Amino acid sequence: MTDPVPSAHAHAPYAPAAARATGTAVALAARPDLVVCHECDAVHERITLARGTVARCRRCNALLGRGHVLGTEKLLAFAIASLLLIIVGNSAPIVTLDFQGVVSQATLPEAIEATWAAGQPLVAVLTAATALVFPLVFTILRLYLLGSLVRGIVPRGFVPAMHMLHFVTRWGMVEVFLLGTLVAVVRCASLTSATPGIGLFAYGAVTLLITAITAAGTHTLWKRSSEIGGTA
Amino acid sequence: MSEASSLQTGSQMRLYGCPTCGRVSQLLHAVPDGTFLQCPRCATPLYHERPRSLQRTWAYLIAATVLYIPANLLPIMSTSNVFGETLHTILGGIEELRTGGDWLLAVIVFIASIAVPLLKIGALLVLVITAQRRSRWKQVERAQLYRMIEAVGHWSMLDVFVVVLLVGTIRFGPLGGVMPQPGLLAFGAVVVLTMLAAGSFDPRLIWPEEKDDTRHP
Ligand SMILES: [Zn+2]
Ligand SMILES: [Zn+2]
Repeated sequence: MTDPVPSAHAHAPYAPAAARATGTAVALAARPDLVVCHECDAVHERITLARGTVARCRRCNALLGRGHVLGTEKLLAFAIASLLLIIVGNSAPIVTLDFQGVVSQATLPEAIEATWAAGQPLVAVLTAATALVFPLVFTILRLYLLGSLVRGIVPRGFVPAMHMLHFVTRWGMVEVFLLGTLVAVVRCASLTSATPGIGLFAYGAVTLLITAITAAGTHTLWKRSSEIGGTA
Repeated sequence: MSEASSLQTGSQMRLYGCPTCGRVSQLLHAVPDGTFLQCPRCATPLYHERPRSLQRTWAYLIAATVLYIPANLLPIMSTSNVFGETLHTILGGIEELRTGGDWLLAVIVFIASIAVPLLKIGALLVLVITAQRRSRWKQVERAQLYRMIEAVGHWSMLDVFVVVLLVGTIRFGPLGGVMPQPGLLAFGAVVVLTMLAAGSFDPRLIWPEEKDDTRHP
């Protein structure tokens, strides 16, 4: 979105594999000068966006793109921090309870395990996926993709990794989980003395980092890989 | 293209915006209807209207509405202590927060667990019914509604996380414990199904073309 991609290959017709297989010659030329709204199909000219500005669809007001908010180095640093904090957030207790001298505390993996053992394996899997696995995969993919692209290499499996990144971005719910931990702490506190643990603070930081990385979008990744690979 | 009236659409110009990578592809010549097109950069299938979008949205929406009933009637968790076991529904949990004096949390949980799922189901119904009629009524507002559903949908998972954390933390044996109950699974399923319904809905259906045959002029 930030700037038009000048490329010698930009207007070269391209026959996708599936079309070739069916024997139909389909030519899909790249139009890096245009933007098609993903929500209403309106066509716009691609313009260069200043840092911090956003472009919206003239017809439906959908967000079409934003000027660079974070640089590549910052995104990489955020991803590294996020990975470390996810590890901390999952090994440290989220809340510690003291019930007449008996102390009880749980990390997220322990809570998931307890839910599984209590006869709700599907709920355990749903929580593990949305609060733990998807945010973790999100962070690892960002590290893997960005780590290669900054060195001028298109990483192996770039396209499948990008598809997976889209999926885990949509289904990761780390910010909802953070609010859930706060509600849980308050509900525990109404029964007995409850102290928020390191895990809760770590998840708070992970939420901020993942939100910032997500806001930067995936456009830069696609653009960098196109520039390196020389395709539009 | 500075006037709204001069707006052209991708299907009029044989342009396809890739939903995954954003690449804009232009079809250089007419192809037979139903030709399978893929993004040259990332292999995502390209359509002007996602196939069977409305049927899939309906299916997820009906499943979500049906499960919404047990999700609210069945207990989502049980608490036990030396005096016995108590069952808690979602509404019961909100009532406990309210009587406990945690007004703000009661409001937050009410919004996430009751208001958001209901509004989502209602809003999706409005979107699929108007899209089916190829309605041009309040298109900008409906587009806004669609974006809102996409943005708030996952917040309903709040109660699922709360119960899982309580189950993990409150483990004092016979003195006290929390167990998840079947309502929680139904509730989690409602959240996932409404998210799938919103994800299946193609927002381009809010903006039907003048004629049906503008796809390959
Ligand atoms: Zn639009
Ligand atoms: Zn693509």
